[in-house]
Amino acid sequence: MLKLIIKKEILTALRDIRLQISGGILIVLMLTAVLVGRQGQRKIGVERTKAQSAMYDKWLNQGNKHPHSAAHYGQFAFKPKPVLSFLDVGLDNYTGISVFLEAHKQNEILFSAAQDSNGMTRFGEMTAALILQVLLPLLIIFLTFNIFSKEREEGTLKLIHAQGLSLRQLFLGKVWGTYLMVLLIFLPIIVLAYLLLDDQSVNLDGGVTMKFLSLTSGYAIYFLVFVLLCVLISAFAKSSGFSLLLLLGLWIVSCIILPKATTNLADKVYPSPSQFEFRKTIKDKVKKGIDGHNPSDVRLASLKQQVLDQYGVSTIEELPVNWSGIAMQAGEEYTDQVYDSEFSKIEEIFKRQNRLSEWAGFVNPYLAVRNLSMALAGTDFEHHIAFARAAENYRRAFVKKMNKDMEVNHKPGVGYGDYNVGMEMWASIEPFSYQLPSTGTILSNQWRSITALVFWLVILFFLANIYAPKISKL
Amino acid sequence: MKTLFHILSFEWKTLWRSSTLKILLLVVIGAGIYGIFFGKFEIDKQQQRIAQVQQYERQQFDSLLVWVKLDTTFEANKEKYQKAVSPTGVGWNKHFTYYLTHDAPPAAGLCLGQRDLFPVYYGFNVTDLARQVNVGELANPMKLLTGNFDLSYVIVFLFPLLVVALFYNLYAGEREGGTLSLLQSQPASLRMILFSKGLLRLLIVWLLATVLFVLGFVLQGVSIGGNIALFFQWLLIIYGYCLLWTLLMGIVVWLRQSAALSAMMGLGVWLVFTLITPALLNLFVLAKEPLPNRAEMIHTVRNLNDQNWEKPRSFVLDKFYPENPQYNPVDTTDFSKWYYASFTLLDKEANALKAQFEEQVKKRNALLKKWEWLAPAALVHERLSQLSDTDRESHLEFVKEVHAYHQELKDLYYARIFKGEQFSSDDLQTLKERL
Repeated sequence: MLKLIIKKEILTALRDIRLQISGGILIVLMLTAVLVGRQGQRKIGVERTKAQSAMYDKWLNQGNKHPHSAAHYGQFAFKPKPVLSFLDVGLDNYTGISVFLEAHKQNEILFSAAQDSNGMTRFGEMTAALILQVLLPLLIIFLTFNIFSKEREEGTLKLIHAQGLSLRQLFLGKVWGTYLMVLLIFLPIIVLAYLLLDDQSVNLDGGVTMKFLSLTSGYAIYFLVFVLLCVLISAFAKSSGFSLLLLLGLWIVSCIILPKATTNLADKVYPSPSQFEFRKTIKDKVKKGIDGHNPSDVRLASLKQQVLDQYGVSTIEELPVNWSGIAMQAGEEYTDQVYDSEFSKIEEIFKRQNRLSEWAGFVNPYLAVRNLSMALAGTDFEHHIAFARAAENYRRAFVKKMNKDMEVNHKPGVGYGDYNVGMEMWASIEPFSYQLPSTGTILSNQWRSITALVFWLVILFFLANIYAPKISKL
Repeated sequence: MKTLFHILSFEWKTLWRSSTLKILLLVVIGAGIYGIFFGKFEIDKQQQRIAQVQQYERQQFDSLLVWVKLDTTFEANKEKYQKAVSPTGVGWNKHFTYYLTHDAPPAAGLCLGQRDLFPVYYGFNVTDLARQVNVGELANPMKLLTGNFDLSYVIVFLFPLLVVALFYNLYAGEREGGTLSLLQSQPASLRMILFSKGLLRLLIVWLLATVLFVLGFVLQGVSIGGNIALFFQWLLIIYGYCLLWTLLMGIVVWLRQSAALSAMMGLGVWLVFTLITPALLNLFVLAKEPLPNRAEMIHTVRNLNDQNWEKPRSFVLDKFYPENPQYNPVDTTDFSKWYYASFTLLDKEANALKAQFEEQVKKRNALLKKWEWLAPAALVHERLSQLSDTDRESHLEFVKEVHAYHQELKDLYYARIFKGEQFSSDDLQTLKERL
């Protein structure tokens, strides 16, 4: 009997010209978004890889020079374009894409695409995510807003009930029928998207299949939540018109208004300092010491004493190692320490802001799926931070190596210009590479969004179970 | 004419009695007022940051003015005095960091535009500007992505929805409510009646827009009289935009479908023009014309800097003096002269490259502009941010000002550096006046 209802729902839907058109439009949009998006993503990906290796070449071929000059010459880190970003571009257009790595300084990750575009960019990019998160729910609304009221208005609800079908079964039949229709649109395109992944994508990100599957499941749950919600509302709405108005209102609030309002609110609740304050704090703390009682000259003097004692000599000239190299590395490490503590404060503020919208997923399932999708596509804030960390660690490692070489091999008494190293030294620094966070890390970061989605699913099934028998037949 | 007023007043009474309209109007007014306050909050935050930077700059400069008057017969004062009067700075520390700020234009709070993507201040000394403007503002990218809930957003996104909500059952409502045949039996033609109903709704939308817009000026403390041209230009754009949506909904009504289908069609049109076309345009343009790799610029500068340091000093000075004949090449071995001359070379190279990138970006954005008419929402938003002076162009203008200011300062510094002179107290006064 349940199967019959499902079949009937699908047949009615398929025969409806309005749904044929809107479903058709969605499929065409999805195809365009996936195919063009993949092409664009590949192009950008190739360009960044090329830029990365070209810059490494320049590092290798910088000629002979003092290791500290090389540390100033510096290196670049380019953010790899995540494979799945063609499904959900997330924050990618708003975060910088490359960073210059040099001695003494933590540079910013610069040059976001949004800065190079006119206002149009702010309207978003057509991606599978936009379609699945925003447009497909609208199709669900069109499929379901009169799913009960129409039968009621035509008097068929009573007839069906007279056939001995319980209202609960009827309810579930309508839910699964609609859901299957949604999957009919969703799955073929998702399979196509999967087929677009190639060996190269797997090389770039080993966990890509796992991420893809999680992403698909996330969306599958989201659609079920939306179908349940719509069928429930339609079952208890007085008329088709009212149910449509209510559902559209809900859609506008949850997909258009709330996301913006939530983020803006988060910014007010957890204010962040300006770049100026941030840099000034770091500068002050490096100068005066983290606790404010350990100024840089005192630190330097005590380090000097310590090194002198270690080698059992009384002046710098007598040291068997290069004092400048030691001092520079110590300065570098102190700055790093200050920078880390200040940067993690900012990071924490931004994470708190984002967490607010993750929690809001319990109120608005759209936010839950948006955050989860971005995370799995590799385009959320966590991924940006992961890249920033990897780049900074790489910087520290190569600068340290340069300083160490200077400390050990640049003998005292030899002029700065007279101690040079070359290609062999440069090649001992591996090219920058960065592994995207694993699926496990992402999913555990996103536990709030996942719980929110599951919470919605459970609650709605629960409500359906209680209220389905109470659906009015008249 | 009399019938028109008659229908209008009757329709007004009917509309006013429906609670749906009241709720709708309340929601839009509520959103508008929220938008106005949000815009004010954002601009206030930017202005606070600007004030903070300016205050810091003044404070720092005031200490220079004190130090220059110090009695250098005391050993303890010598370092401070040197810091104040030496245009090349002391040690590796430069003489002074100047700030130029991008103050919020009057109507910025009504349409925040692209202002949040860029820093509203730059700090720099008289070394090369190229490496000093490579900074951003600390911002949560999530916030940049979701965008600002300002008044322009309410107008561009929510007003069309209001129009859809007011119009979708213009005809179908009468038919489904059973009043259509009554209307048809009236002396006025149905077309006249529908037109009047539509006109009334358009007037309501216009009135609401005007009220919110005036509220925007009042609540944000922007003088209308002082910005009268801006005020009317904004208003004209808003009216035109609402009219466009009214016409689009007129077509939907003209199709005479059921209320539910008309609502869906209205929403469909809204989706196409505010979400789908801009998103498609972005998709195609981003895939077709990737943005230039700006890291190239940093590389060029560092490469030239590397050469400057590795090669003999004549490498820099032989290029510098012919191009800057005002600085007399008396001494070509002096470190400071070579050092500061080298920054001019860096900037020259960087600016050339930057102009090239900007050309590329412009070409790409022109492509977006060419198709902008397909996305009226984006088009109107762009015009509003242009009017409010918060678009990308406004930031580029600011960057130009930064370049000009940097050059002006450089002229003052280089005049002293290349004569091997120190700043006098008067020099510092001149500099202070330019803060």
